[in-house]
Amino acid sequence: MRFRGLAVLPLLYAAVFIAIAWWLAGGPAVNLFNSWQRILVRILAATGCFCAVSAFDPGDHLRRAWQWLGWGTIAILIRDVIRLLVPAFQAGNAGPNEQAVLNGLGVLSNLGLLVGIVLLARSWKMAAIALPGGRAGSIAVVLITAAIALVVAGPAALDGAKAVAGGDWTSLMKVVSAAVDIVTLCLIAPLLLTAVSLRGGLFSWPWGLVTASQLCWLLYDAAWALSSTPAPGTYPFPTADIFRGMAENYLFVAGLAQLWVVRQVRQPSALSLDPASA
Amino acid sequence: MASISSTVSEQIAARLTPYIGEFNARMWVKSVARRELGLSPEDLTAGHLRRLVDGLRPFLQTLMGRAAADDLLLKIGREVH
Repeated sequence: MRFRGLAVLPLLYAAVFIAIAWWLAGGPAVNLFNSWQRILVRILAATGCFCAVSAFDPGDHLRRAWQWLGWGTIAILIRDVIRLLVPAFQAGNAGPNEQAVLNGLGVLSNLGLLVGIVLLARSWKMAAIALPGGRAGSIAVVLITAAIALVVAGPAALDGAKAVAGGDWTSLMKVVSAAVDIVTLCLIAPLLLTAVSLRGGLFSWPWGLVTASQLCWLLYDAAWALSSTPAPGTYPFPTADIFRGMAENYLFVAGLAQLWVVRQVRQPSALSLDPASA
Repeated sequence: MASISSTVSEQIAARLTPYIGEFNARMWVKSVARRELGLSPEDLTAGHLRRLVDGLRPFLQTLMGRAAADDLLLKIGREVH
């Protein structure tokens, strides 16, 4: 029940988010609510990552992966906090220097998250985990996710690249973010296949929850790509942020699950050994 | 003899299954038996246990960290006969 409860938590978060955002939509309060909930989910995600780090010893492969994910999340959290609380960094006020700081934090965050996901995705090969469906099945899943990733994040990468080529360096973060999205979304395939391969075992939980987080980022990108820029003075329902919140919540619970499964190996008497009752 | 040998691989796989699932538990035992000993799982005996445990160690360390892997392999070494 403990792990199933973790899997449900992001869905509950989404339900609460939708209820509050629905109630506030149309007024400026929805933007304030959205900004603060964004900080909340970043804090949760970072907490989850560092809980997972604490499960491992220095030098362990997965400790490094979770550290990268954790520091990547911290960088974007700092960016969100200064954009919300420091007037010079707020939208409309930010000059070139402030914009460079925000871009730098965004790029650092994206790179940290990318390295973390790459390290997680490499684990199946390092641990010689047998992927289900054989080689053909695995290649099919990789190709499908790569195609979806290109469709969802490709246009944003192209637009950003054109803007940067035209001298608009404020779009640099958009380009990096979209490029990182494409790569990390492609890595959904090995994460998903690893989770499926480990099915029936407790270690499938952290992998499954990290995969769910990445799938929510895919939905976030899709919702973002389909949304239009709101007209000044309008405060629409923040659809894309539902998925951002879920993605960060899934990373939070994945980190907790990672900590709990490692603890269970070390103290099997502390928790039930039967994965069916997890 | 064959049934005893089979029991060793099954005992190890049974102790890995709660953590990595039955599919991977069997695949890992099979893969390590072939790579480290050149044997099929059915031919394993208690005498092969030490090399099997050592062969499983890098896989488990990647997935659960060195300390947890060592704990689990110690338990397997104690319980499998």
